[in-house]
Amino acid sequence: MRLGRYDVTLEPRTTRPAFYSALTAVGAILLALALASVLFLSAQTPLLDAYRAIFSYAFFNPNGLLATIHRSIYLLLCTYAFLVPLRAGLWNIGLPGQVYAGGIAAFAIPFVFRTQESQTLSLPPVFLILLMVASAAAAGAVVGGFAGVLRARFQVNEILVTMMLNSILFWLVAYMIKEGGPFMSPRGEGESFALPPPLHAPLLWGVPFTAVLALGAAVFLDILFAKTPLGYRIRAFGQNPAAARYGGIIPLALSLFVFLLGGGFAGLAGYHYFAALPGVYKISGNYGYFGDLSFYGIISALIARGSSLGAVPIAVLFAGLSLGARFAQGQLRLPFGVDYALLGLLMMTFVASHVLYQFRVAWRRVPSPTLRPAPTQLPPG
Amino acid sequence: MWELLARSLEASTIFLFAALGELINQRAGVLNVGLEGLMLFGGTAAFITAQATGSYPLGFLAGLAIGGLLGLAHGFFSITLRGDQVVSGMGLWILSFGLTTYLGNPHTGPLGLARITNFFGLSPFFVLGVVLVGITWFLLFRTTQGLAIRSVGENPAAAEASGISVTAVRYACVLCGGVLAGLSGAAYTLSYNPVWNYNFLMGWGFVSLALVFFSMWNPWILLAGASLFGIMWQLSLSPELVLPGVLSRYVWRMVPFAITIPILSVISTPWFRRRWGLARPEALGRPYEKS
Repeated sequence: MRLGRYDVTLEPRTTRPAFYSALTAVGAILLALALASVLFLSAQTPLLDAYRAIFSYAFFNPNGLLATIHRSIYLLLCTYAFLVPLRAGLWNIGLPGQVYAGGIAAFAIPFVFRTQESQTLSLPPVFLILLMVASAAAAGAVVGGFAGVLRARFQVNEILVTMMLNSILFWLVAYMIKEGGPFMSPRGEGESFALPPPLHAPLLWGVPFTAVLALGAAVFLDILFAKTPLGYRIRAFGQNPAAARYGGIIPLALSLFVFLLGGGFAGLAGYHYFAALPGVYKISGNYGYFGDLSFYGIISALIARGSSLGAVPIAVLFAGLSLGARFAQGQLRLPFGVDYALLGLLMMTFVASHVLYQFRVAWRRVPSPTLRPAPTQLPPG
Repeated sequence: MWELLARSLEASTIFLFAALGELINQRAGVLNVGLEGLMLFGGTAAFITAQATGSYPLGFLAGLAIGGLLGLAHGFFSITLRGDQVVSGMGLWILSFGLTTYLGNPHTGPLGLARITNFFGLSPFFVLGVVLVGITWFLLFRTTQGLAIRSVGENPAAAEASGISVTAVRYACVLCGGVLAGLSGAAYTLSYNPVWNYNFLMGWGFVSLALVFFSMWNPWILLAGASLFGIMWQLSLSPELVLPGVLSRYVWRMVPFAITIPILSVISTPWFRRRWGLARPEALGRPYEKS
């Protein structure tokens, strides 16, 4: 493109320092928040008050802060579920489906052992809780691994398969908890039975133990990718699958592994939201909302550029923003869905920042035409 | 029975419009995985406009325009900036999913206009769909422009060398694809099911995307596939018409998605690809850089 006496082109960047990744991440988030201001224009409140309402509820109100922490754990686990396959160049859009699978599997344990009522509890609760966690992770891993096998064995597009699995599991949950389904609550329709109190996840300072899993996984994943041969293989496969194959990396095993691990994290996220959150302890009728929320995990993994520790502050911020936006929406009488709109805006600014991350804008001065080109044709006559 | 069939064919039309647009896109080498997003945004824009003005034509116009605009946005990212087409497509989908939930929410509920007239229960859009399939087939396989589109999707460097502007052809195709996706969304919200609800598509767009792969990039096979899926979809919505009292209705809702996965797997096998898969555009999903 020509601007005045300069030639402006986009050139691929050769180096991408970590500082630059952080800069584009912050830029994308700030731009999304600025664009979200347009949503608040219809409200009668000044813009700064709207943002103050969001942040003070999410991070300074005791109830809000606790809810933010709970949601951060969920979003972090979803982030890893997307991040691990992404490092191998694969897109795991199946977060909602894997979350639902984790929820169903967790509730299957008390259902199978007939322990919906606490007086019939025959096994030690700690054992049952561990079994619930393991079965949730395993169910998520199986649903994820299915897409991974199809991808590796037959080159089936993993985006389509995981999306189909999302719909299948959405309706499976509906079947389980509605209209006389096996998990339906004896009291009301449209939600599952409630977990008996002994099976509630143990709390550490009011926060479920899943927080330890989420933070531990952040450290574990960063070490896995940075320091281990397996992590190196995953990254090599993500950068260039053909070259990785010549290097002796087996695509089937690798695709299966990243999808199993990712799906396992999403299953844990399902366990966390449905079976470990104080005040919930059931699969509620609006479970679809938590499936939608898991898409924030996609964005935090993308914005963190595959760094699990880098994703921690981003996931906490998004948890606070999505909660605070819901709160502000009620207070300012905004239409439903500010949190959804923010999700969309963040995705848009991420795509824009991705361009600036991959390319740099090069300005080159066009040589001034002081020297006339030599005539190629003889003058007439 | 006729009513069910007519309704199924109308459902097929939704798949058909979107998938036809995607087919044109992909024939030119541009993959848009955010098809569902384009449909959501087009459908919502059409619904809001039609409700505000009380006019169907204006509603459709808005849907087509939004669809085309988003198609061009995807084109700008994937053609001009040579970005990753999956990133841009997924971005468009989540952007539309989020924004339409917010923008459409005050309009939740029925459209409140007289239904579009149909011929003995058959939607006029189905007729339009068949005509469009014919036009697309003729355009792609019987005209110079179609040859240009296909060559741009197979080998852009060779196309460029023979004097075709890859950029121009691809932009024309993404515009076309976007407009058709917008039409699909508008046909859904204005005719097939004129009630706005958040995320009303719930996977129609992704099934359409899968249909393009099933069709082996041939419009006539696409028409057959879309009709089959329309019938299956409609049956999954009202299974009691055929098998009353068998299984929960929620189980039936899984069927179209559950059938999609094995079909996708079969057409992706090396055997199938060697035997039938030659139609896959060689440069699909790959940005083209003029050298």
